[in-house]
Amino acid sequence: MKVVGLETIIFGVDDIPSCATFLTDYGLIPVDVTDEGGRFEALDGTGVVLAKTEDPSLPASVGNGCMMRKTIMGVADQQSLDDLYAELSKDRAVETLADGSIESHDDSGFAIGFQISKKKQINLVGEISNLPGSPFQRPVNQLGVDVDAEQIRPISLSHIVYFVPDVKKAEAFYVERLGFRCTDRFEDIGPFLQPSGSLEHHTHFLIGAPPFMQGVEHFTFHFSGPTELMQNGERFIKKGYQAFWGPGRHILGSNWFWYFNSPFACHIEMDADMDLHDKNWTPRVSPMGADASQAFLMRNREKWAPGADTPHNGDYE
Amino acid sequence: MNKFSPLCHVDDLENDCTKGFLENENGQDAIFIVKKNGELYGWKNACPHVQGAPMAWRKDQYLNTQKTHLTCFAHGALFDPTTGLCIQGPCLGKTLEKVELFVSSEGIVSFLDLNNKNKES
Ligand code: FES
Ligand SMILES: [Fe+2]
Repeated sequence: MKVVGLETIIFGVDDIPSCATFLTDYGLIPVDVTDEGGRFEALDGTGVVLAKTEDPSLPASVGNGCMMRKTIMGVADQQSLDDLYAELSKDRAVETLADGSIESHDDSGFAIGFQISKKKQINLVGEISNLPGSPFQRPVNQLGVDVDAEQIRPISLSHIVYFVPDVKKAEAFYVERLGFRCTDRFEDIGPFLQPSGSLEHHTHFLIGAPPFMQGVEHFTFHFSGPTELMQNGERFIKKGYQAFWGPGRHILGSNWFWYFNSPFACHIEMDADMDLHDKNWTPRVSPMGADASQAFLMRNREKWAPGADTPHNGDYE
Repeated sequence: MNKFSPLCHVDDLENDCTKGFLENENGQDAIFIVKKNGELYGWKNACPHVQGAPMAWRKDQYLNTQKTHLTCFAHGALFDPTTGLCIQGPCLGKTLEKVELFVSSEGIVSFLDLNNKNKES
């Protein structure tokens, strides 16, 4: 029973064109998108699907205005899919859909689906920083930054973060029923969860919250590294989008982050360079707080340059 | 002395629309105005859920699709556009901070800028 990762998040929205513009400006590639919705893909084919709120094929919302209607996870093979079907059928309704995927609900009431992984193998190298003598350096004459780069692309759907009313119960479902591992934990908040077929620090993170908050805190895609993340984020701000937190670097997972508000009424993140762990890793338990949740935090600002013409106090008030 | 800072003309805003003002270098408005049934209401762009958090999902976009409520697009809190009261979301029952607006006989909309005490207009 190997879940390999998140492959699709489905949102039900009223204003498809605005949400489509938002996802495209973020860097996702529209595939068969119309005014009725469509798919927005990262380079490996994982992505976000938009549909109309009232689309009868969508599972119900958990309420509280949550527009996220379903997550679809990839599994290794048909055997894993059959095993999951059998496991979930023990105590809940499981449906096989026309495309061969299966659909059910987790213990918090979020709709979940599983499909044989459709993730494309992409042969890209993440951001490399040069260091004299290092065996891992960029090829000679390859530049580290390209200000004229065309639209920067998210590489792969990374993770989703839920507000759940009962963290213990929510965690138990992913761990005991779906075979996820807890990689690290924020005390009194919740666990970072890794599916058994992945080495990534987390594809899910759970935050305990009152029932009236149940929903999605954020979802995010991996970018190739901090440079593309920050370049894309800066361009996103120039297009009028609203940064909420970052850029910075998390401690648990080590991922670079930058969070923005979204028309989905939850955050969208851009992330990069997350840690990998296997079963030899011992989960840390960390108290929640500003110092524990980021190694450092920065804020975007207008560009300026020191020089002969710079006023006496530079760009400072 | 406090200043009345001019923001726009009443006709610059359409009904059921929002417009932000006093952007910082991150493109985030300090305050925004919503026009509802011909009336203007001014609010600070600061969600009561996470202190001071910007609310729009894009510059000037503070309304839900139905245009019934002001929305914080961080976690989806909904606010009554005329009272600022949060009716759904993490800050349920809390209220947005009001910005007092003044409309001159020529229709110029201004607000009492408490942070602009010493600056020339
Ligand atoms: S910051 Fe506004 S709803 Fe959370
Ligand atoms: Fe995240």
